[in-house]
Amino acid sequence: MLSAMRSNQARKDKARGSFQALPVEAMRARPLRLSVPRSLSRSAQREAETVSAARRLNRAAGMLAASVLADSALEHYRGSFKNKAMFTPLVVAGLTLAMSLHGTADRRPVAHRARDASYLSAAVTGLIGTGFHIYNVTKKVGGLSWQNVFYGAPLGAPMAILLSGMLGFCSERVRANGRRRSRRIFKLPAAETVATVSALGLLGTSGEAGLLHFRGAFHNPFMAVPVTLPPIGAGLLAGAVLNGGRRMRGLARWWMRLLALMGFAGVGFHAYGVSRNMGGWRNWSQNILNGPPLPAPPSFAGLAMAGLAALELIREARDA
Amino acid sequence: MLDRKAELHNAYPGYDVLAKWRSPSWNEKTREVIAARLQVPDEPQFLTLDEFEVLTAIADRIVPQPASRSPVPVAGLLDQKLRAGVMDGYRVVGLPGDGEAWRRGLGALNAEARARHDCGFAAVADGDQDDLLRRCEAGELNAPEWAGMPSQIFFKHRLLRDVVLAYYSHPTAWSEVGWGGPASPRGYVRLDFNDRDPWEAAEAMPGREVEARRINRNVR
Amino acid sequence: MSDDPLHSPRAINGRAPDVFRPGRWVSMKQYAEHEAVDFVIVGTGAGGATLACKLAEYGFTVVALDAGPYFRPLEDFASDESEQTKLYWTDDRIVDGDNPLQLGSNNSGKAVGGSTVHFAMVSLRFRPEWFKARTKLGYGADWPIDWREMWAYYTEVEQALKVSGPVNYPWGPPRPRYPYRAHPLNAAARALARGCEALGIGWTETPLATLSAPRGLAHPCVYRGFCVTGCSTNAKQSALVTWIPRALSAGAEIRDLAMVGRIETDANGLAVGVHYNRQNQWRFQKARNVVVAGYAIETPRLLLNSATDKFPDGLANRSGLVGKNLMAQANQAVWGEMDEEVRSYKGPPSLAITEHWNYEDEGKDFFGGYAYMSQGPLPQLWANTQATAHGLWGTRLVEAMKRYNHVVGLKIVGEMLPQESNRVTLADEVDQYGLRIPRVTYSWCDNDKRLIDHSVAFMSRALGAIGAKDLWVQEDDTCHLNGTARMGDRPDNSVVNADCRSWDIPNLWICDGSVFPTVGGANPSLTIQAIACRTADRIRGLSRVGEIRLN
Repeated sequence: MLSAMRSNQARKDKARGSFQALPVEAMRARPLRLSVPRSLSRSAQREAETVSAARRLNRAAGMLAASVLADSALEHYRGSFKNKAMFTPLVVAGLTLAMSLHGTADRRPVAHRARDASYLSAAVTGLIGTGFHIYNVTKKVGGLSWQNVFYGAPLGAPMAILLSGMLGFCSERVRANGRRRSRRIFKLPAAETVATVSALGLLGTSGEAGLLHFRGAFHNPFMAVPVTLPPIGAGLLAGAVLNGGRRMRGLARWWMRLLALMGFAGVGFHAYGVSRNMGGWRNWSQNILNGPPLPAPPSFAGLAMAGLAALELIREARDA
Repeated sequence: MLDRKAELHNAYPGYDVLAKWRSPSWNEKTREVIAARLQVPDEPQFLTLDEFEVLTAIADRIVPQPASRSPVPVAGLLDQKLRAGVMDGYRVVGLPGDGEAWRRGLGALNAEARARHDCGFAAVADGDQDDLLRRCEAGELNAPEWAGMPSQIFFKHRLLRDVVLAYYSHPTAWSEVGWGGPASPRGYVRLDFNDRDPWEAAEAMPGREVEARRINRNVR
Repeated sequence: MSDDPLHSPRAINGRAPDVFRPGRWVSMKQYAEHEAVDFVIVGTGAGGATLACKLAEYGFTVVALDAGPYFRPLEDFASDESEQTKLYWTDDRIVDGDNPLQLGSNNSGKAVGGSTVHFAMVSLRFRPEWFKARTKLGYGADWPIDWREMWAYYTEVEQALKVSGPVNYPWGPPRPRYPYRAHPLNAAARALARGCEALGIGWTETPLATLSAPRGLAHPCVYRGFCVTGCSTNAKQSALVTWIPRALSAGAEIRDLAMVGRIETDANGLAVGVHYNRQNQWRFQKARNVVVAGYAIETPRLLLNSATDKFPDGLANRSGLVGKNLMAQANQAVWGEMDEEVRSYKGPPSLAITEHWNYEDEGKDFFGGYAYMSQGPLPQLWANTQATAHGLWGTRLVEAMKRYNHVVGLKIVGEMLPQESNRVTLADEVDQYGLRIPRVTYSWCDNDKRLIDHSVAFMSRALGAIGAKDLWVQEDDTCHLNGTARMGDRPDNSVVNADCRSWDIPNLWICDGSVFPTVGGANPSLTIQAIACRTADRIRGLSRVGEIRLN
């Protein structure tokens, strides 16, 4: 009885395997047949995959940088650029965005020095900015209090440019792997590293959204979305790293797409929030600043894109 | 001399709260109310011409205005308030209703001036007008024209209060003190020390009057 | 204009103004005057509106009358101090005594919603011991209500108003988290905080009944600073935009521009309805129960003006206490100038508070307590303060006014003790309705003066410690009015019992600040509303056991 079931199952598997194998084989085989010997064509394919993984990461870093550029421009304009250093994140995020566009367009399998420099400076800016923001909050009367954490310089905000720099820097390292079989970032496995950075970024950004939505007393039930979906996403990324099963990765991939969608939809929700303030859009000069920040939610999209890149790297590393 | 000093010190050069008339800082109701106030003529409708002349002279002493700009019609604004019968909500014992108190007080001050200086209050020299007002404030005036109304109560609860409220109800006075003015629907964003929204007045720090004037010209 | 809320009633023909939408209406149930309603309520402020809402929600038939107009804040309120005096009760009143009160602007409202339409939104709970001030602290009188019961009603009101407050409140027993978060502090509030930290006492963000986030159709605060002249954004959670809309949808009727002149009583000594003036016509509304909620001056005035042969000293006045024990709250301030720009006109005026001297009894040479808060006077108010309280006029005034943006001030809400000699009586003069006007007599006692001295000395140190210059003390100011129909546990020492029910006339109730036996050093509005919620629950409970006449 048992053995019968087993053999039955085996037959099914066999049938499915051969059925599935066909189109995949066909898709992979055709371009390779055009040019090079089998061994070489494998490594060329690997190189193409490496570059496109890196470009995905460039894109994610760029999305984050764009969010930071707009957000810091708005917030630091609100702060009247009282300190000249407040221009720094605008310049750096602008540069990072430009470099990320450059990287997205670049198909060469080598790291780019200017991009590296830009990404590194973004990461450093994030660290220094965090220091500035902590100083700003603690020097206010009341120190590290809810009041100052709510309304002082946002402690989590500079982390976004740090994340952008880190993802971009990872992108360059991934790209530099070229045809190497197992892609690494320095000595760390690339897929797992990028997944970890993305997951931590999602958790941190979700924490910041949570803080600010708590400030808004979660008056709209949709405000719970960015504090629930991203941590689940982070968990799925961790799951993909730890168990790496196909189903887990598939679920994680869909979840990342959902988070990207949420990031863009968030702009819409925040635009509605601006319209809900007194005077609505006619009073834009106040409400853009006092209402929910329009450029903030897309940072989730940036991180979700990084998560997708990580999942692709995992797939390639494990299914190869 | 004193007035010239007031004129010299312009804390918010170039700032005009009325420049925001069409901005989101002013709503329809506010425009309606302020438009009506700006139309108030500097002439009496409630008081007699004589009383109005004394009131004008008093207002010049209580809230002296620089000659370089068109004056706030303090007496006219106050006359209109008396005509409308808007009251404070309380009356100290010994003080009649607002209109009656003003009529009596202006007549009494005029009588005090005639007794001391042989001419009506409005024709008395500035310094002597101040002196009369100080005596009024101290409760030292008691000509029969006061008819039982203590001069210090009239001074504090009617004269000073009403004149000051009339002057500072006018946009010209708002600009003078650098107040943001009407604010709805648009309120304010930057609230901390030394914070200024682009639609607020910039104060002329010593040596930086030109910069303040440039900023204030662009306040909308 | 035909739709002038000051001159023609809006709540007629089965509809009332929609306070959330310009020019729009909501439907309103109406009751016939000749058919008795369960409750007719006189006044729609913190006490009356809250009670009207709760009773209507409990299924009673309710008509609430207010002498004032029915505004739609979004379209009727200008950003202008003079224009907005239309919110104040400016009818004729005479003040005397050693320290005559200033009435009108900061303590009396005449509008649907009462003075909550122009209150400063400060929503504080009383210190628990105050409810047993005589027993526990040795002064004033005990309340017949336990603080733990009040704690629950405070929570109900804070939720109903979506009070914005600090995440943790530093004084008193634990309270639930405020429904909305505290507002950002302006410079004036930060000055208060700096002073407190310099002197080593606690401070916090003031719990305010103004929205820090959207709520339904109401917008969050835009920090325009016109709070005490009327909020044109509906961020302020006044009775007008909270309890009243709820009351309407629960079936209550509101009548605006309806001035009640007399409560009618029958041969059995029971109330049978109220005479009121609307559109220059005296009318009569029959009711099974009458609730007076006109605040500490109009409530005793109405009771006294309703005297009959049976009740020659006025209604509910067998104790002789109606009108007596009027308690204002001390409202002294210390003002100074900072080198920095403060621009305190931005944001709600009292964003930061310290209740230290409400909860600390060590080192006091007086009974009672006080809170002090940051300030944000608008130009007219500030000029009047500089003139009448500081004594400036002429060039000195005009020049001082140019320093407006640098002014910083701290102001107390201080407890004053109940004294029978501080009271509301009737003057011989009559008002526009032909009703005798109130005479309000007020003198500070020695304890009041000691409290004031303590507070101005302390606040002067606080301002000195943060580098404020040219300090001066505003000595003569008071705010809030309470007492005049105190509650108690015996008919001989009080006007009403703990349920706000008259000892003398069982279907006459008083539900406003008049019932306070003591005032504490906290703004009274939250407590008035909490008591109204409690009264509604008590009325429901009593009606279930047949102890209230409802037919």
